[in-house]
Amino acid sequence: MAYDRKQGEHHVTQSSRPDYRVAVGRAEVAVGAPRIFAVLEPARAATLKAWTSTLIPAQGKRPDAGSVGAAEYIDATVLAVPSIRAQLLHGIDEVERLARATTGGGFVDCAAEARENILRQFQAADESDAFDMVSDFTYEAYYGHREVLAAIEVENGWPGTAPMSGSVMTPFDPGRLARVRSRPPHFLVVPAAKRVEP
Amino acid sequence: MNGEGGADVLVIGSGAAGAALSKRLSDRGARVVCLEQGDWIDRDRLPKSHVDWEVRGRRFWAANPNVRRWPADYPVGSQGQDPVDVYMYNAVGGSQVGFAGNYWRMAPSDFRVRSLDGVAVDWPLDYDELAPYYAINDLEVGVAGLAGDPCGPPRDPFPNPPAPIGRPGELLIDGYEKLGWYWWPTEQAITTDAYRGRPACTNRGWCTFGCPQGSLSTADLTYWPGALENGVDLRTNARVREIVIGQDGRALGARYYDRDGVIREARAAVTVVACGGLGTPRLLLLSSSPAHPDGLANSSGLVGKNLMVHVQSFASGLFDEPVDGWNGTWGGTVSTRQFYETDPARDYVRGFIMSGCRGWSPLNLALQIAPWGSGHHKAFDERINHEVSVYMCGEDLPEASNRVELDWSQLDEFGMPGVLTHHELNENSRRLGRDMIAHAHQVLEAAGAQSVRDFGLAPIWGWHLLGTARMGDDPQTSVADRFNRAHDVPNLYIADGSSMPTSAGVNPSATIQALALRCADHIWERRHDWRSVE
Repeated sequence: MAYDRKQGEHHVTQSSRPDYRVAVGRAEVAVGAPRIFAVLEPARAATLKAWTSTLIPAQGKRPDAGSVGAAEYIDATVLAVPSIRAQLLHGIDEVERLARATTGGGFVDCAAEARENILRQFQAADESDAFDMVSDFTYEAYYGHREVLAAIEVENGWPGTAPMSGSVMTPFDPGRLARVRSRPPHFLVVPAAKRVEP
Repeated sequence: MNGEGGADVLVIGSGAAGAALSKRLSDRGARVVCLEQGDWIDRDRLPKSHVDWEVRGRRFWAANPNVRRWPADYPVGSQGQDPVDVYMYNAVGGSQVGFAGNYWRMAPSDFRVRSLDGVAVDWPLDYDELAPYYAINDLEVGVAGLAGDPCGPPRDPFPNPPAPIGRPGELLIDGYEKLGWYWWPTEQAITTDAYRGRPACTNRGWCTFGCPQGSLSTADLTYWPGALENGVDLRTNARVREIVIGQDGRALGARYYDRDGVIREARAAVTVVACGGLGTPRLLLLSSSPAHPDGLANSSGLVGKNLMVHVQSFASGLFDEPVDGWNGTWGGTVSTRQFYETDPARDYVRGFIMSGCRGWSPLNLALQIAPWGSGHHKAFDERINHEVSVYMCGEDLPEASNRVELDWSQLDEFGMPGVLTHHELNENSRRLGRDMIAHAHQVLEAAGAQSVRDFGLAPIWGWHLLGTARMGDDPQTSVADRFNRAHDVPNLYIADGSSMPTSAGVNPSATIQALALRCADHIWERRHDWRSVE
């Protein structure tokens, strides 16, 4: 949608440029549906799950992204759009490689701070768009999830289901317009031009 | 090829203009055929019918056709210093199916910018000529608002009351009152009360993500039911390849692919193109022939030129208190036309509106400002339900270099070319834009915001695609005449946003539909000139 542009970083989606944002346009993957990994084997799935949980960790009543199925959502998206599979696999393998190079262990075994450092390292060097892709999909899976929206309502007073149910509101009070009504017209009066009828 | 019997009027495009025109002509008794390249919207698939509506808005319902790629969509490229992020829909109802419902009339001065300000061109008609059609359209659509705004000419009472403004509206009123500015509840194409069989709005908000309630006045819900009842033959999945011209230089109708890819021809005494600011020049340029080598109706060379998109931005103010920014119509708070007319004290001509909105929804907000990692929730919590947004829309003056061209390197599913847009804001628009954003900061701060962020001026928000086949009195400097009739083809009309000579500084839907109704009346009044094409 038009409102999802990243502050100061928005680029127009082009028809002529390979772009995961274009590729996934027709992939309708319901958020929060029960599903298992269909593309990723267990080791890569575990890395991706830890990756998504690092992007959006748990806080208060809000779960981390991995526990609401963000990795499974990404896997399902890739299943629907095979053209982005290589990008995802490259990203996961690179994160895993960086983890082993910096800590000697796998990404899933790293502490939260180390995971974040590894991902920042990957993000800074990533020319494949894999980081942004996983990040965007994780945000989608998280903020489209009923459980997360319920927690946001409790903690922030924002009812995520209101767009489906609506709400009762107080009608506009025309009395508020007293000052404005008392002011003179504020538009240019333009004399009609003489025109010749056909 | 399959030929088909003739109608009185063939309308190409079923959007805001095509729908209004089809209904108006069929009300009079004309036999109308309408070709629509898209299909009816499946209302069960509207994003807001689902809890993950924001995600669906980024995929199936994405406003950019390059992302959404519905079968009827064609590729759109965006070039230039200020590229346009194009938002449009190809479906029954056209791009209105994804609009917010902001529904302004132009001001009298908007029709005379050359005479008044020495820029661009005058319209070949005046506000007073269009006003009766604005009024007819208000009733058809069921516009919500309040008469008496001192920032516009007098008008009839609205058929529906203004939408509830909620806490964001109250805060903005505080700001306007503190600054002493004019303000008024925003006019919207939304049935805030039950109206002509449509239900009252229930304040779900986020109107651009589709209105399952059916209160957002999209053309598929306003004009089409009546048009179909009148017997209009609406053919969906009908992708027009070219307009057919006879030996005598008159339009015979159009050749199109049906849903099975079979080439068909629809004929009529009069042909109307209403495919929008990109689709109309695309079709006219595709309809070139030995008699029209540069495209149909293009002897002026202006088909596709003068693309205008408005100078647009958003600013969001951060408030200490919760603002209940989740409920109410997205654009239905209060607006100002304080800075709409040219002011010699400013360093630019023409002006802008500012229209109060609500707060950003969770996914949109998180994507905009919440960094990933340990600081994610803190950034999100600071702003969710604490921001009020203001939409700004200013006049974008026409420039011949801002244009739409055919793009043969990107084809649609039938091998027809996409389009390339080129756009750069001129200096006047940049100055206007900077001032507009500064004033949005001013009002949000006056309303009590502790800080304000904005989205700047680029990339361009491409909701309003205008001016690419403009009307005018002189065939050398315009494509269509003052009644939307093509100068080059006597029975061809161009009746949509592409016909607008200038953009004004307001959302264009109401003007597009009023122009279409006026064009319909002109076509009907000239029925003595219709010739059978059976």
